[in-house]
Amino acid sequence: MAILVDESTRVIVQGITGKEGARATAEMMRAGTHVVAGVRPGKAGEMVHGVPVFDTAADALRAHPNANASLIAVPAPAVRVAALEAIAARIPLIVILTEHVPTRATAEVLAAARDAGVRIVGPSSVGILSVGRGKIGAIGSSEIADVFRPGRIGIISKSGGMTAEIAVALRRGGFGVSTAVGIGGDVLIGSDFVDMLRCFQDDGETDAVVCFGEVGGCYEELAAEYLATNAFTKPVVAVVAGRFTDQLPIGTTLGHAGAIVAKGRGSYTSKVTALRNAGVAIADRLEEIPILLRKAFYERSRVKEEGLCPTFAKA
Amino acid sequence: MDCLEHVGKALFARYGIAVPRGAVVSSLDAAHAVASPVVVKAQIHVGGRGRAGGVRVCGNEVDARIAVRELLGSTIAGCHVASVLLEEFVDAAAEYYVSLSYDTVTRSPVLAVSVKGGMSVTDATTTPVDIRDGVTDAAIVSCLEREAVPAVHRTSIAEAIRKLWRCFDEEQLLLAEINPLFITRDGRAIAGDAKVVLDDDIVRPQERRFLSLGGDIAILASGGGASLLNIDALLGHGGRPANYTEYSGNPPADVVRDLTVRVLSQEGIRGCWVVGGTANFTDIAATMEGFVAGLRQVIPKPTYPIVVRRDGPRQAEAFAMLRVVAEREGYQLHAFGSETPMEESARLMVKLAYGDTGR
Repeated sequence: MAILVDESTRVIVQGITGKEGARATAEMMRAGTHVVAGVRPGKAGEMVHGVPVFDTAADALRAHPNANASLIAVPAPAVRVAALEAIAARIPLIVILTEHVPTRATAEVLAAARDAGVRIVGPSSVGILSVGRGKIGAIGSSEIADVFRPGRIGIISKSGGMTAEIAVALRRGGFGVSTAVGIGGDVLIGSDFVDMLRCFQDDGETDAVVCFGEVGGCYEELAAEYLATNAFTKPVVAVVAGRFTDQLPIGTTLGHAGAIVAKGRGSYTSKVTALRNAGVAIADRLEEIPILLRKAFYERSRVKEEGLCPTFAKA
Repeated sequence: MDCLEHVGKALFARYGIAVPRGAVVSSLDAAHAVASPVVVKAQIHVGGRGRAGGVRVCGNEVDARIAVRELLGSTIAGCHVASVLLEEFVDAAAEYYVSLSYDTVTRSPVLAVSVKGGMSVTDATTTPVDIRDGVTDAAIVSCLEREAVPAVHRTSIAEAIRKLWRCFDEEQLLLAEINPLFITRDGRAIAGDAKVVLDDDIVRPQERRFLSLGGDIAILASGGGASLLNIDALLGHGGRPANYTEYSGNPPADVVRDLTVRVLSQEGIRGCWVVGGTANFTDIAATMEGFVAGLRQVIPKPTYPIVVRRDGPRQAEAFAMLRVVAEREGYQLHAFGSETPMEESARLMVKLAYGDTGR
């Protein structure tokens, strides 16, 4: 099963003629994912890696009605229009790879997506990789393909770079990955830890999840709130980066509004305390992740009974 | 990027929000422009400025000059005061708190209003705003109602909120905060302060985040996550990080070069740590070419240890190049891939920089 991406995924790439778009396209094809069309206004009729280019997302969808996902790799100032186009075309999964998208643009895109019932992952998402099944985005390039070993651990990470590094730590500890999702570290993101945990809860091929969080925002605290309800039945191990920022003078950047709206959330201590209270094991170093996973599996007495650990490819 | 108060007020004024008459001065000579009584306010990026002594109310011109002399060039809450704002004193009947910012829970802008404006504001009534509709009159009415704002003040506060929304929306701000929002005895709303945060992704999209941490190990980290996690690791091993910065995405070599020069030009550096995870799509060879180009530009030539820990596309090629450069040009460089945990490279960096015993 994995989550969000599998063999049935049919991707259109918005911004396919750009450097990152073309590169991601080649990478996705190498991973066996079907890239059915590309979009670049004014370049209809061209081909990129054998993929036909259209002027708009709507045109691409008319020619390839089976497309069910879009990767947005356009420059930051163009993300708003590209995403609104994809939302209007009702593409159910939109992954925004672009970094430095203005917050106002993201807010507008997320509001439109919510109304349309469309899922957004990102901005600043490194992509989604279901190991051995397919991917959307630049995650797990073919040059580091052996890093992501097939297995039964899900990864949800704010940091793109740390996504692969967590896979390295898992592999070293004898685990593999079902699906890895880069949710991005922006102030506003389309899918947060909770959204992804819900998907992993329903995934029969995932036994536990590793979350990589960072100081700022309150997505980690929201995850803790969700996990505290026991709606999620699998072990969760989390890494929260930025402990040192608790020692810095209190940020004034957000004025009183930061304190009023965030209600004390956002710091390292707030996140780690909330997650611990919700039963999440906190890894201080990436190398502790497999140890904590094994411990969690053992504590649930599932190791012997169900043979869940360690778990490599099961063909 | 946050704006100084007088810059924020100038922006508010453009959207029709009333601000006190005033003038910014950076020398004593210019300090007699405003009629008494006057408020003298240090122009610094610090919260809690009032409590820290950065705001003085002066009854006459002599006191005002004394306040200007004392504040200019002083240090308040660790911040150098390069200019002060002299403003007419507003005799207010009431002080409110009003702000627009983003809420990560609703993922939308949020309006916050409190009847207890001023230094002690800790709580407020909040209302999410649909960015496509803006702040509606219904939302304002409901917010003022819930916060129990006296009826006589509602019209002028509502008008200030509408103007503040236009400013927040059109300038694509991350924060527009008025605290206090004065209501004068004749019912006018005047912004007593201005806290404005611009979106860096709009005003300076090319610039890399850089924060000085005062230590002696220069850090070049790939991505925000790597930077945060590795500073934690370095501190854990007794290292003293000189800076927080990161180059994210798939940076061209010249971006890495310029960042390298900046990071290694800090005072008193005893070690350089180029650290990152296993890259998904970043071209490590291009990154390291940029690093070497930067390294060659640093004066004096770095003789301190350099620890590189990075993996990803074209890593083998990049490391072969690094080893040749280190040998031919005499750099004390140690390069590791993903077989060495980032944490281990932190330990090694500290050991090499400070020696086995030294600090």
